[in-house]
Amino acid sequence: MEQIMDNKLMNLTLKIWRQKDAAAEGELKSYALTGVSPDMSFLEMLDVLNEQLVAKGDDAVAFDHDCREGICGMCSLMIDGQAHGPEKAVTTCQLHMRQYKDGDTITIEPFRAKAFPVVRDLCVDRSAFDRIQQAGGFCSVNTGNAVDANSMLISHDTAEKSMDAAACIGCGACVAACPNASAMLFVGAKVSQYALLPQGQPEREKRALAMRAAMDAEGFGHCTNEYECEAACPKEIKISNIARLNREYFRATLISE
Amino acid sequence: MEANENCASKCCGRLFEFLDSSIGKKFMVAAAGLLLVGFLVTHLAGNLFLYVGDGAFNHYAEALEHNPLLPLAEGGLIFLFLVHILLSARATYLNRKARPVAYESYKGKGARTPGSRTMALTGSLILLFIIIHVATFKFDVGGLKGQTPGTEESLYAHVITWFSNPLYAAFYILAVGGVGLHLSHGVQSAMQTFGVNHPRYTPLIRKAGLALAGLIFLGFVSFPVYFGFLQKCLSCSTGAH
Ligand code: HEM
Ligand code: SF4
Ligand code: FES
Repeated sequence: MEQIMDNKLMNLTLKIWRQKDAAAEGELKSYALTGVSPDMSFLEMLDVLNEQLVAKGDDAVAFDHDCREGICGMCSLMIDGQAHGPEKAVTTCQLHMRQYKDGDTITIEPFRAKAFPVVRDLCVDRSAFDRIQQAGGFCSVNTGNAVDANSMLISHDTAEKSMDAAACIGCGACVAACPNASAMLFVGAKVSQYALLPQGQPEREKRALAMRAAMDAEGFGHCTNEYECEAACPKEIKISNIARLNREYFRATLISE
Repeated sequence: MEANENCASKCCGRLFEFLDSSIGKKFMVAAAGLLLVGFLVTHLAGNLFLYVGDGAFNHYAEALEHNPLLPLAEGGLIFLFLVHILLSARATYLNRKARPVAYESYKGKGARTPGSRTMALTGSLILLFIIIHVATFKFDVGGLKGQTPGTEESLYAHVITWFSNPLYAAFYILAVGGVGLHLSHGVQSAMQTFGVNHPRYTPLIRKAGLALAGLIFLGFVSFPVYFGFLQKCLSCSTGAH
């Protein structure tokens, strides 16, 4: 049994971005890691590295994580030049080491954008997203108790589109993957989820104007329709949400008072 | 009176906010870009008179030059280029600033296209080409007009003479390739920027954008290929002059 398990264990070389704090200069450092099971998640693999580092008296690698089940949006990482690693529609915490083979070298960098400054090692400050959300990603009207079923008619397709947009977990992979560090997919998703439903109508124009302004003020780049965001998004948010954001912003520019 | 001023400043304020916004800048670049595509199509259509012959092309060129509205159209064209170039240059500059520290490894997931990756490069190539193109074909820098005896008045002969220069023909082909690559991304990108994205129409728009880019490329590239090379080969082989 032990024998079989041992055969499957991998040795990896990790190149990891180390940076003491926001002001410090960072650099990629190489680590040899032994005994990685293919059944581990990517973050468990980093846990093993940290145990080995701490045992040697080194500093653990700081990285963001919380739920580890693909729902909170806290994990990040640029893995070999791909946000959340090589798989489609998977967060880093749900990426498993069976994707890799013995002897592989893996480069791990933080998400990079002016609006996402590095806090330490692989941790970046994504509070820019919170500030955009606070600028208009809410509805402040009291919608009262849940109304009787079917008294407010919303087509299934529209409800589904809104729910699909609401699946965004705010991880920032879209920004990380975008050659322009643009936040249009995130903002598109947040504007869309409200714009599609009746609850979002009273503040529809105000929201589009305010969230656009907050997005630009944070220093994110301009969308040039490279569509890498959609390819990187672990929740498969579609670029049709960016087109909708464009429409919502034009509309609000024209008709709001 | 005061109310009027308020109204004007409100409208201007909103307009400036739009033009300064990331989305508004892209909208203007896309609008100017598509209008420039419209110009390219008419320019190509006019140039096709080259195939009809000396007389037809010269007649077309003269009619164009004597049209009193020409300066207006030229001014509009310059305006479109300025809007397109200045705003896209500003957006590109701000995009570089949006990621101050580059990735060591940046692979992505395959969504980018050769056209999308090279927009700034192909755009700059087009700009360089336009400067040379206008200098040589409109202002006759290099003074080729009249070098061929008896053709002082002929723009047709002027065009043929330039295309006979292999260096110029090669540069022309390169630049027109740049236009094709620019539009292979640009046309569908502009539609997405306008907010047009629909499960039924978007695949069609992408194909139509590629087709338009291809047609514009083939149309323009045919001139140096035909007048620079093919025509000569043909006249050699048939012995006619
Ligand atoms: C006949 C000439 C040109 C045509 C027909 C044209 C057309 C277009 C179109 C349709 C777009 C897409 C707009 C969008 O994505 O929203 C575009 C984008 C762009 N163009 Fe041009 N363009 C021309 C010349 C130029 C020149 C001279 C430059 C620069 C010197 C330039 C630089 C750019 C840049 C930087 C972009 C944005 C890149 C991007 O969206 O990824 N273009 N162009
Ligand atoms: S749109 Fe996708 S990639 Fe961007 S923040 Fe939301 S879940 Fe993450
Ligand atoms: S840690 Fe919660 S989504 Fe990855």
